[in-house]
Amino acid sequence: MMEKLFIFYAWSCGAILVGAVGCILGYLFCMGLSGLDLSLIFGNVRPLDALMFRQPVFNGLFPAILGTLMLVVLSVSIAIPVGVAAGIYMAEYANKRIRQVFCIIFDILAGIPSIVIGLFGFSVAVFLHHHFLESIYPCLLVSALSLAFLVLPYLIRTTQIAIEGIPDHVRITAIALGASRFQNIVYVLIPHSLSGIVSGVVLSIGRCAEDTAVIMLTGVVATAGVPKSVMAGYEALPFYIYYISSQYADSKELVSGFSAAIILIMICVVLFSLAFFIKRRLSDHMLYRF
Amino acid sequence: MIQIPKIKIKNLFFAYGKNIVLNDISVEFEKQAITAITGPSGKGKSTFLTVLNRLWESTPKAKMKGDVSILFGDTYCNIYEPSFDLFELRRKVGMVFQAPNPLPMSIMKNISFPLKLKRCKEKDLIREKAEQALKKAFLWNEVKDRLSDDARSLSGGQQQRLCIARALILEPEILLLDEPTSSLDETASAVIEDLLVELKSQCTILMVSHYLDQVQRVADRMVEVSDGTFLGIHDILKV
Repeated sequence: MMEKLFIFYAWSCGAILVGAVGCILGYLFCMGLSGLDLSLIFGNVRPLDALMFRQPVFNGLFPAILGTLMLVVLSVSIAIPVGVAAGIYMAEYANKRIRQVFCIIFDILAGIPSIVIGLFGFSVAVFLHHHFLESIYPCLLVSALSLAFLVLPYLIRTTQIAIEGIPDHVRITAIALGASRFQNIVYVLIPHSLSGIVSGVVLSIGRCAEDTAVIMLTGVVATAGVPKSVMAGYEALPFYIYYISSQYADSKELVSGFSAAIILIMICVVLFSLAFFIKRRLSDHMLYRF
Repeated sequence: MIQIPKIKIKNLFFAYGKNIVLNDISVEFEKQAITAITGPSGKGKSTFLTVLNRLWESTPKAKMKGDVSILFGDTYCNIYEPSFDLFELRRKVGMVFQAPNPLPMSIMKNISFPLKLKRCKEKDLIREKAEQALKKAFLWNEVKDRLSDDARSLSGGQQQRLCIARALILEPEILLLDEPTSSLDETASAVIEDLLVELKSQCTILMVSHYLDQVQRVADRMVEVSDGTFLGIHDILKV
């Protein structure tokens, strides 16, 4: 009886969660679908001209979409090598004491509010501007570095857990065949923990795409156009959504905020799919192709 | 009487923390013969095998004392000398575990994996050696048309033969088998037993086994382990 009750409770929790996600997405699509058209993205510029960078877009979401994509790709590209390497170190090389201390530090890092990390990024940019290079301002690179810092604990922990979860018989197989520790990591442990590592990457992509607090302090601006370099200011969808929903002048502007949210979700879906596609191709190549 | 000892062990002690597992063991194993190691569970048989390829070294709190020499070429080499190449040792002393442990990769990737570790990049040579090893392990005819299938899709017996083939591709001089048939049915076990008898002309085999009938069928000599010591080594009379 108790077990049946628990199963019902657990099933209800899952169902409520799925229902909540459905409600959020449904509400978003109901509110924003009507505003979703090419003029929202490209304004009064011809899409081809905008895509070929022949004409700048001033009254559309195109620069914000591009800014978001660049921000996510840059942040994740910075975070993945550091996070995966640190995760491997924690799982394979760190002794018990170091592992305990580092775990506590990474957990604290994961718990730091994103606004604090944004403030830190901003302070570092200001410090560098005053003491080293005057051309350094809050910009795309500072935002990407701050976001990478924000998502590092997720990447480290998921990589560590994925590698530690590999069964002993798999772990010892290559060693018994004459593999060095490094070969075991490269040929066996990483390919077999790819699923776990990719989960961390997907989490990181989501976090980088949605975080507003960090970018507000480190380089995002309302109208910057398409960023010319990583040292320039940029526009981003989360900031546009925040800005428009807090300062909309009429209902049409509010609808454009919902439409921007749909575009942001679609960008995340595309990036998630890309991460899974890369994982599939990579593991297929590593594990099955001769 | 041993003609040419392949392995010489003198005053071997082994312990996990304060728990002494092997106590003052001195023994020799004959070249190109199958020696079975029998005895009750938890008495150090598997540990003894890991002493011969130094696989125990990554086990926390494990410690070992004594001389372990193996005949490589014309000379006996102390495998615990710091100058001795550990990775080369593990290539020359192959090991097959109790449960089949194919890596979650294709059959071809599994079989060629040891060569990849040796940084062999010639695909034709790898294919040729893989075919030879699979033939030696009586597996070629069963898998030749599906080499890119997941190795885990094979039956238990086939998986174990794949693991033996994977060890054989490096042409080891010694093959350590830790209860290789304990997770297999009678038919699959019989195939493995035939395979081992076939293989002894190519390498020295040490096999841990609980089944005395199997020892009788396959082994040339037998040694019994009890309370951390070896109770003598004796020939097995074939009927």
